[in-house]
Amino acid sequence: MNRRAPKPLSQGFVYLGISMLTVVVLYPVMVILKKAFEPGRNFATSVSPVPTEFSLEHFENLLSSSNSSGDLLFLRYAWNSTLVALATTIVGLFLACTAAYALSRFRFAGRRFGIATFLAVQMFPGTLLLMPLYVILHKLSLLNSLLGLVLVYATTAIPFCVWTLKGYFDSLPKELEEAARLDGASSFKIFYMIMLPLAKPGLAVTGLFSFMTAWNEFILASTFLTDDSAYTLPVLLKSSVGQYSADWGLFAAGAILTSLPVMALFYFLQRYLVGGLTAGSVKG
Amino acid sequence: MRRNWWNSYVLAALLSVLVATAAFVSYRNAAFERRELGRATLAATSVSQGQRPMDNVVAAYVVSPASPSAKYKFLRERSVTESDGTQRRLGGNSARPHDKRIYDAANQFDKTGTFVQLVTDTDLVIAAQPAPTGVAIAITTPPTGPERFPWLVVLGLLVMGSLVCAAGTLVGGGARPLGLALGASGLAVPTYLWSGLAMALVLIACSMLVAWADWRGSLRRAGREFRKGGIAYAFLTPTAAAMLVLVGIPFVVGLGLGFYNNNHGEWTFVGLDNFIQILSGDGRSLSDPLNFWFTLGVTVAWTAVNVVLHVSIGVALALVLRQKWLKGRHGFRMLLILPWAIPNYITALIWKGMFQFEYGAINSVLSTLGLDKVNWFSEWSTSFASNVATNTWLGFPFMMVVALGALENIPSDMYEAAEVDGASPWQRFQHITIPHLMPAMLPALALGAIWTFNMFNVIYLVSDGRPGGGTDILVTEAYRWAFERGERYGLAAAYATIIFLILILWTIIGSRLTKKDAE
Repeated sequence: MNRRAPKPLSQGFVYLGISMLTVVVLYPVMVILKKAFEPGRNFATSVSPVPTEFSLEHFENLLSSSNSSGDLLFLRYAWNSTLVALATTIVGLFLACTAAYALSRFRFAGRRFGIATFLAVQMFPGTLLLMPLYVILHKLSLLNSLLGLVLVYATTAIPFCVWTLKGYFDSLPKELEEAARLDGASSFKIFYMIMLPLAKPGLAVTGLFSFMTAWNEFILASTFLTDDSAYTLPVLLKSSVGQYSADWGLFAAGAILTSLPVMALFYFLQRYLVGGLTAGSVKG
Repeated sequence: MRRNWWNSYVLAALLSVLVATAAFVSYRNAAFERRELGRATLAATSVSQGQRPMDNVVAAYVVSPASPSAKYKFLRERSVTESDGTQRRLGGNSARPHDKRIYDAANQFDKTGTFVQLVTDTDLVIAAQPAPTGVAIAITTPPTGPERFPWLVVLGLLVMGSLVCAAGTLVGGGARPLGLALGASGLAVPTYLWSGLAMALVLIACSMLVAWADWRGSLRRAGREFRKGGIAYAFLTPTAAAMLVLVGIPFVVGLGLGFYNNNHGEWTFVGLDNFIQILSGDGRSLSDPLNFWFTLGVTVAWTAVNVVLHVSIGVALALVLRQKWLKGRHGFRMLLILPWAIPNYITALIWKGMFQFEYGAINSVLSTLGLDKVNWFSEWSTSFASNVATNTWLGFPFMMVVALGALENIPSDMYEAAEVDGASPWQRFQHITIPHLMPAMLPALALGAIWTFNMFNVIYLVSDGRPGGGTDILVTEAYRWAFERGERYGLAAAYATIIFLILILWTIIGSRLTKKDAE
């Protein structure tokens, strides 16, 4: 890009600005780390985000807390969260990829309507569907079950996946498909043999977001799950800093353990966030 | 040739309507009989246990075993206990209307050990059950009004009818619309019998509509379109089916709930009352946080402030981060997208803790700097600012990454060429960077606006509407009506419908604007 670097002074200002912003970004994270690793419930009023003492007390408390029947609560909720998020992702991707491809590549009557519908559904506030879903799940006795929660999450995951994947398919070059069509490949074959492999990064990013959305969702979970054996992690974390008894140390430890998997996934896949793959595919 | 097609179509249509009607009627009759027999048997059982018979019972007695008549030994008589405790002989001079039936039923029961019968000409059902002191007999009559409409059967019939109609459309023919109308209307007969005039009229109207569409040629066009886009529809079908079940049904139910009022689990139809209550502000002043227009204003301000901050911070950072001379730019990028990676409800809870009055980190910083502590959630402005700060922190990385992606896709030789032509940095920014940035930023902006508009977690977890619901946005307000203010589900559903309409309107306007922009 700009091959000549600007003057050292303006460079210095840029470094200063971006460093300050980074500090602002990191500060809340450091605060949480400090709360998690500092023992006891001392309400440190010092500004410094560096812990003065180090202990794993909060983590031990969190991991060893169990309910009356001896289940380890945190592990149980982590398992619930994993199941729900994975199932939602699989359902979302599986059902969305064909529709996204059709909306991206084919011209047919009702296409605009379809696109508009998926966009509109994706915009639904969760609360619009919350009550009817509650009534329906109650009828099907799927309240308080993880399967019910997966179905609820799928209502937002599917349109989201369709919309994102369609965008990704739009960015893929048409040349490969046209070449395959000239060679006599059927539409389904083109889809499975060419488009899906090409769309892997798109699928990964979409699946990641779908997983994160399900993993991070708490309103629907706390409304639909009333039995504490079916809770997911967000419900636990929210209740640990309730209005009357806030245990910030416990919350911080739980927040770290809950965020780490999605953060790791996020960083692992974030290079796909910028779809630089398309250009390479056409050139190669 | 055409005439032959036409004739065979009419024949097939009539025949299928006939078969469908017959199947429908016999199904209905079987279901009806099964239900009524069960009801009568249940009544007899309850009589045998000495309980009060249920509704729709014409007569119910425990009948004594048969014994020889005192007058004529060859006659056998039975007696029943009346409700006032007196014994009464069945038949004779003081016979009641159903004595004969009761007597016969008891005899039948003694012979075969079981008796239940539907008397079709009088619509009476007689059932017998064993009782400790003889036989319990109950005569019931079907309750007034038809039984619930079997939707599955009707759905099946409609599918069948539409198949017939579709077959006709593909075949072609001159007077086809008339046949279509008549054929589809045939279903109205069983509908009228069991579900009343309204349903039948709806059905006839539907078939007329289909016939009219056919007459206009729309059906044939649709058929042609369908065949042309066949592969696309095949790709779409699984998703469409899932969406219909998972989203379509709850959506329609949700729209419907808005017209009802929920009072301790009892739903009453109130028409547009909920919508009127919301849109009129329910008699509250405009500055009252519970007034819809106040909340809408807060929501719009919230969305606008956040999106402006997200985009400006995000784009500014992207412009800096793409500079090759910036050392550690990949490191900065990694650190700066951290807020995006953290679940937003955790971010919200962390910031809620940081804004805490006594021990919160923000007030600690303020007092270190020698400033007074601020009670963040006691004033509307500081409370709103706390929400905005939280949401800006977690929202700008998305815009930054989108902008970075768009910037990296700009071929660098464009800049080189512009530089050779003597374009100033500002001109390069204006004529190369901005046009390349816009196509990526506009959809991101639309998406970000919608996310912010519906950002439940931050509002609910950070300020929790404080002070006094003043910082609530539309989605949290709807949630509170449902779950925190006396389970007013109907009102909350109406709220949700209004939010949805706003979003639809917004999208339509937005897409018009971007289209105009692209042209």
